[in-house]
Amino acid sequence: MMPFDMRPDAVMQELMAYSQKLTHGVRNLMEVGEISSGVTPKTVIYQEDKLTLFRFNPPAEGGKSRVQSKTPLLIVYALVNRPYMADIQENRSTVKGLMAAGQDVYLVDWGYPDRADRYLTLDDYINGYLDRCVDVIRERHHIDKINLLGICQGGTFSLCYSALHPEKVKNLVTMVTPVDFQTPDNMLSHWVQQIDVDLVVDTLGNVPGEMLNWTFLNLKPYQLMGQKYLGLIDTLDDPEALKNFLRMEKWIFDSPDQAGEAFRQFIKDFYQENKLLKGGLEIGAPVSLKGVTMPVLNVFAEQDHLVPPDASRAMRGKLGSKDYTELSFPGGHIGIYVSGKAQKTVPPAIGKWLDERD
Amino acid sequence: MADTTWMNGWLESQQRYWKAWGDLAERGAPEAPKNPWGQGIDQWWQAVSPMTPPSGRDVFDKLMDVSRGYFTLAEQFMAGAGGKKDVGMEAVNGWLENMQKMWSSPFPNRAGANNPAKGVNTFWDLPMDTWQRLAANIVPMPGDFTQAYHPEGAGAMRDQVNRFLSIPAVGYTRESQEQFQILAQRQMDYATATQAYQMAFGKLGAEAARKFQESLQGRANGDKPVSSLRELYDQWVEMSEAAYTEFVMTEEYQKLYGNLVNSLLALKQQMARMADQGLEAMHMPTHAEISTLQCRQHELRRENQRLRKEIKEIHQQLETIQQSSIASGLDREDAPAAAKRRTAPRGKKVGDAK
Repeated sequence: MMPFDMRPDAVMQELMAYSQKLTHGVRNLMEVGEISSGVTPKTVIYQEDKLTLFRFNPPAEGGKSRVQSKTPLLIVYALVNRPYMADIQENRSTVKGLMAAGQDVYLVDWGYPDRADRYLTLDDYINGYLDRCVDVIRERHHIDKINLLGICQGGTFSLCYSALHPEKVKNLVTMVTPVDFQTPDNMLSHWVQQIDVDLVVDTLGNVPGEMLNWTFLNLKPYQLMGQKYLGLIDTLDDPEALKNFLRMEKWIFDSPDQAGEAFRQFIKDFYQENKLLKGGLEIGAPVSLKGVTMPVLNVFAEQDHLVPPDASRAMRGKLGSKDYTELSFPGGHIGIYVSGKAQKTVPPAIGKWLDERD
Repeated sequence: MADTTWMNGWLESQQRYWKAWGDLAERGAPEAPKNPWGQGIDQWWQAVSPMTPPSGRDVFDKLMDVSRGYFTLAEQFMAGAGGKKDVGMEAVNGWLENMQKMWSSPFPNRAGANNPAKGVNTFWDLPMDTWQRLAANIVPMPGDFTQAYHPEGAGAMRDQVNRFLSIPAVGYTRESQEQFQILAQRQMDYATATQAYQMAFGKLGAEAARKFQESLQGRANGDKPVSSLRELYDQWVEMSEAAYTEFVMTEEYQKLYGNLVNSLLALKQQMARMADQGLEAMHMPTHAEISTLQCRQHELRRENQRLRKEIKEIHQQLETIQQSSIASGLDREDAPAAAKRRTAPRGKKVGDAK
């Protein structure tokens, strides 16, 4: 058997079809218009420095709010990339899904740090900004405890916060959250071990978002920098699909710079020394996973190339909580927010889990 | 609606080109035309791109880059096939050999105009290419300045330069000489790290080609021949990723990556130090001074936050004490308004939840 079954004339046809799609695609591109993202209406509740705390406007039905949960839910996103991933478009929105499940949803947007923010530490982010956001919500709702939902690095922050302030957290949901930063399949962790982080931060101050982009793209360079764009050719004739692609592109390359001191501590303590799991982590005070005593729902993605499932599953048995649940999603790090399948399964499951503990 | 005349013209010319090319290939012509598609698409895109909105132009730039590589793959594959209908491994061996030759060169000129594998290498060099762009933003020097350190036998020359740079500086300008010596050393170190990284990708390329050939043979043996150009491209990507993933999880890569990043930052640090010296000589604020001020200011803000928190707690304690006093009837006067006031977090706050 020959390795190829490709007639020259068929290859010609394939190339012609390619040229045709490319040409018509440019026409669609010219007409694509504004690319919107962050679709659910929201209200600014609190602002401090670059941080904004939003509340998504509860949907009303016959003049009555459809929120059924007594406890508001605060989404804590990562410092890396922008939080509108959780609300990227009308039919792909984790936020909308959570609201449909009856949750009263708040979101921390850390903003874009500039050089004046270079000395912000993890203590400032977790015991400062995040704690004040939690207090604002507690005061607004006249309650002692709220629910937290942490995403990726935001999940790690939420775990640390919950360990440090268990009296303020009723239930904790972590999504694609690393706990063991040194699993054998963790590419990012492998690469960063010989990086002189002190040199990076002392020299650059803040770490450019572009540097992080380069790192993330290099996880799968030939797919993410090559094949992905060739695949675009098949959707160029569909204006809606083209818009979705451009929306995702916008998000992928919308990377805030990282405040230098927070980056230094995150890379050294978490990636290089794995202190969250091994112990010895200090963020204003010692942080122990045993301090996480509230119910925990750990949601992870089975094909996650950024946070391998084992990195998330590592929290099993390490927490102080007796109520620990895992939810595994058959998809990737981003798919867990934007795939059609995720919309149908993940937010409703989170809503149900929270309702059972409301 | 956009004017489509130029689009149709473009498509027709494409059709004519591919037909002529296909006829030649069918006849088993010894040499294909000299890649007019690549040149044509460049001219076409230059004409069209100003009309596209900024939000999508970057994506289309990338699509064009990828398309160039894709069409080069097509041209080389068809040249290898020589117009035969039953195509064997010889169809890809040609360009794989070209690439292997280039990868095995100590200083590959991948982007060179005469390089027969140029289009495909645009694809292969993606990690290095994006690194060069990033490095150029971090260090204000041309992204390819490391090429200046590429002469044959660079190892021996580098040793000589290193010896020269280690000569102690003396005299009135000693400090300044030292700084320039350190700068030159940092440049050499970065160039060395870049070359080592690039050469490792050469070895990796050879491994990817081997995996690719193996996988094609596997498909032949398994009665699943490649039936389209796109399938061939996807197979190449899959094997490239497989080789890459294995390589980047090795200790060798960890060291190469660390050296690449660390040497760039060491160079940047030395440049910043020298820039600060220049600023200081002109009685202008230096980066180091501003950094110190930022640090002190941040410490003050942190202290301020801590004090606000303490005051809030004290207010709450006072309120509790006064309420219990009122409840026990010891204090019948109204509680002072101040005690009722709840201290809010420092930022701007909006309304109660409804």
